[in-house]
Amino acid sequence: MSIINYASREIQFKIVYYGPALCGKTTNLSYIHQRINPLNRGDLVSLATATERTLFFDFLPLNAVVIKGFVTKFQLYTVPGQVIYNATRQLVLRSVDGIVFVADSQWEKMEENVESFKNLSDNLALQNMALDEVPCVLEYNKRDLPNIAPANYMEYVLNNRKKRLQSFEVISSTGQNVFATLNAVSQILLHKFSKLSQTPQRESLPVAIPVEPSAPETQRLPA
Amino acid sequence: MNAIPVLTIEDVATLDGVLGDFLKKTESDLTVVIDRGGNAISQCGDRDVMDVTVIAALAAGSFAATRELARRIGEVEFNALYHQGNGNHIFMNSVDDETIMITVFGSRTTVGLVRFYSTATAQNVAAVLKLLRRTSHGLSFDAKDISAAPVFVDPP
Repeated sequence: MSIINYASREIQFKIVYYGPALCGKTTNLSYIHQRINPLNRGDLVSLATATERTLFFDFLPLNAVVIKGFVTKFQLYTVPGQVIYNATRQLVLRSVDGIVFVADSQWEKMEENVESFKNLSDNLALQNMALDEVPCVLEYNKRDLPNIAPANYMEYVLNNRKKRLQSFEVISSTGQNVFATLNAVSQILLHKFSKLSQTPQRESLPVAIPVEPSAPETQRLPA
Repeated sequence: MNAIPVLTIEDVATLDGVLGDFLKKTESDLTVVIDRGGNAISQCGDRDVMDVTVIAALAAGSFAATRELARRIGEVEFNALYHQGNGNHIFMNSVDDETIMITVFGSRTTVGLVRFYSTATAQNVAAVLKLLRRTSHGLSFDAKDISAAPVFVDPP
C-alpha cells in the first residue's frame, strides 16, 4: 500500500491483472489505454518479448478524481502468465491494493485457470496477505469464442467460496465489460478505506452447478 | 476499518529538505523516493520533463529483478544499482526494507559524487519514514466523499 502525500494530496493504488498465459491481461490494458482520455492516463509500458509475450509486466498509470479533495492515481499492472515466471509475479504483486483475476473461458484452459488462481493465493500468502483481504474481482474473458464453458461452470470452478467475488463476462478484444471490471475493483478498494468499510462484496451461498447457463451474480453481456 | 499511512505536510517538508540538499550537493536533476511496489512517496527536482510514475514503476521492477542475481553470489540484494547512459544516468540505492531512492543525473556531475552523498541521504530519509511508520495513525475517508459514479468511463 502506498503512503498518502498530504502536501500534493495524491493517493496511489496498485491494481494487478493476474491470470494464466494468453488469457488477455495485456489486451485489457491495451483497450483501456486506447479508450481512456489521454489527459487522464500515462503511457502504456510493456516489457515484452519480441513475440509480444509479457516478460516482466505491463504498466498503465491512470488518474481519476473520485475522493473529495484528493487526486487518485490508479496504477495498472499485468503479470507474465507463463508458469516459469513465478518469481516475477511475486515481484509485481508486491504492495498490491486490488486484483483482477482474468480467466480464459475456453474449456481447455480451465485447468490453467485453476492453477493460476491457486498460484495467486500462494503468492499473496508469501506477502502475508489472504485473498479475502484484498479487493478482487473475477473476469471471465473471451466470451466470444465458440468453445467456452458456461459462466455458471466458471463460477463453480473459480468462485465457489463463502464470500464470493464479483465476476464479469468479458470480451477484452472488443472491450465489452472491460471498464465494468475495472470500475468494480476500483470501487471495492476505495470503499475498503472508507470509515464504514462498506465493500460491495457479498456473502452468498455455495455455488452448485445449475442446469441453465445463467448466474445472477455475473454481469451478463448485452445481447 | 483500514487506513492509509499519511505523510503530513511537515513530513513532506522534512523530506523535501533532505532531498533538496542532496540534489544541490550532487547537482543531480531529479530524486524520487519510492516504495518497493513502485509507488512514488516523495520527489524533488525537475519533475516536468520526466514521467515520474513510470520511472518509479520501472525502477522498482529493476531493483527487485536484480535481487535474484545478488542471491546467486551470496548477497541478500544489491544495495545500489547504476544504469549508465550516454548523457543521462540513473543511480538507485536502498533506503530500508520497504523503500528505494532513485536519482537521475546528467553530465554536470559524476556517479561517484551521487553515490557518496546518497548514503547519508538514504539514512536521513529512512529516519523520517521510520518515525512516520511508528507514529502515523493513517487516513480513512468518509464514504460520502467517494464518488458513486463509475471511476472510469468508456466513451461511446
